[in-house]
Amino acid sequence: MPTKTISVRIDGELVTAQEGQSILEAARANGKQIPTLCYLKGLSAVGACRVCIVELAGTDRLLPACTTPIQEGMSIKTTSAKLTLYRQMAVELLLVERNHICSACVSNSHCELQALAQSLGLTHVRYSYNNPRVPVDMTHPRFVLDHNRCILCTRCVRVCAEVEGANVWEVASRGIYSRIVSDLREDWGQTRNCTGCGKCVQACPTGALAEKGFSVHEMVKQSDGVTRLALQRAHQAGSPSR
Amino acid sequence: MQSIAEEAPDAHERLLIDHAIAQQEGRPGALLGILETVQSANAHKFLSMGSLRYIAEKTGIPPARIYSAATFYALFNLDPQGDNVVCVCRGTACHTRGSRDLLQKLCLGLGLIGQDLSETNDADKLALTTPDRKFTVRTVACFGQCALAPVVEVNHHILSHVNERTLQREVKALKQGRQ
Repeated sequence: MPTKTISVRIDGELVTAQEGQSILEAARANGKQIPTLCYLKGLSAVGACRVCIVELAGTDRLLPACTTPIQEGMSIKTTSAKLTLYRQMAVELLLVERNHICSACVSNSHCELQALAQSLGLTHVRYSYNNPRVPVDMTHPRFVLDHNRCILCTRCVRVCAEVEGANVWEVASRGIYSRIVSDLREDWGQTRNCTGCGKCVQACPTGALAEKGFSVHEMVKQSDGVTRLALQRAHQAGSPSR
Repeated sequence: MQSIAEEAPDAHERLLIDHAIAQQEGRPGALLGILETVQSANAHKFLSMGSLRYIAEKTGIPPARIYSAATFYALFNLDPQGDNVVCVCRGTACHTRGSRDLLQKLCLGLGLIGQDLSETNDADKLALTTPDRKFTVRTVACFGQCALAPVVEVNHHILSHVNERTLQREVKALKQGRQ
């Protein structure tokens, strides 16, 4: 199906985009960088983290680039002082919500959250920490789920449902009590649906899902492998790739 | 309590679940209808893990999604509920007319002191059940009856301008009525 080409302005530059693309996809196709956290190419976009927000001329609202479809004549700003402020705030609130101790984390220096905080120039957090008491699930023979490091981006939920098709993960409860759960809040090792494929581990942007046997800053994720697999499967299924 | 929540549904309950599933077949949002029917038919007004597992098997809906829906909506209970449900409003109007004190006194009177009440300070959802399963104390964000604050709902019957004495009297009447 031929898609319509539309012209938009991104950071003042006139560029072309395909109809049906999101702002994020159009920007990336034209070499513009927008920071993301919950977005992973190949998976559906949910707009959970609010890090990819952009300014659209004509509206005061900031729009998430990953879930907003691009339209003819849009004029978008991907960087500004206001956007940086709000992106910093979003990351700070993520850091406040759980116990992100980088120095003790398997994903230290390979963590998307940490890298994002650094690139946004976050040196400290202005809000008081929640310090919740959350468990660590070590019941799976190969993997670990550490709720302390979870940012509820739901990448694991989506990769398991959309690529693996096992539907092991889901978010339970709501608000600050939201937790990633497997099956009926069973231990991960006891879930009947889990195939042990490890795609959720590779898709996880932080150290919340990790392989066992890795020490501090040894866990390197391959989220691009998940993307490749997702696109291949979408291609095979005949559905348009994301 | 854990044991009753874990029990697999008996033949009668299985039949009921099958019926609920058949009734909702093909409708969007069928899961909510199924869960609601199953819960209201339960003697203790809750969804046991066994019945959730059975629903997952029968409908093919992933267990994680069922658990997610059951924990997202305050309507659904995963623990057995008491015979009498006392629901204290923790909305702003009721809060300013002393609903926190009402709630604390109510919990003290029913022997629910061991529970962590500090979490109830923010308008959080709460559901505590006495060990003999006679009373469940719940909170709600607002009944929409703010002019009658503080409002307490006892077994789906709204009491207005409640003070400690009237609430105590109500609880006492329920206790005697049951024994």
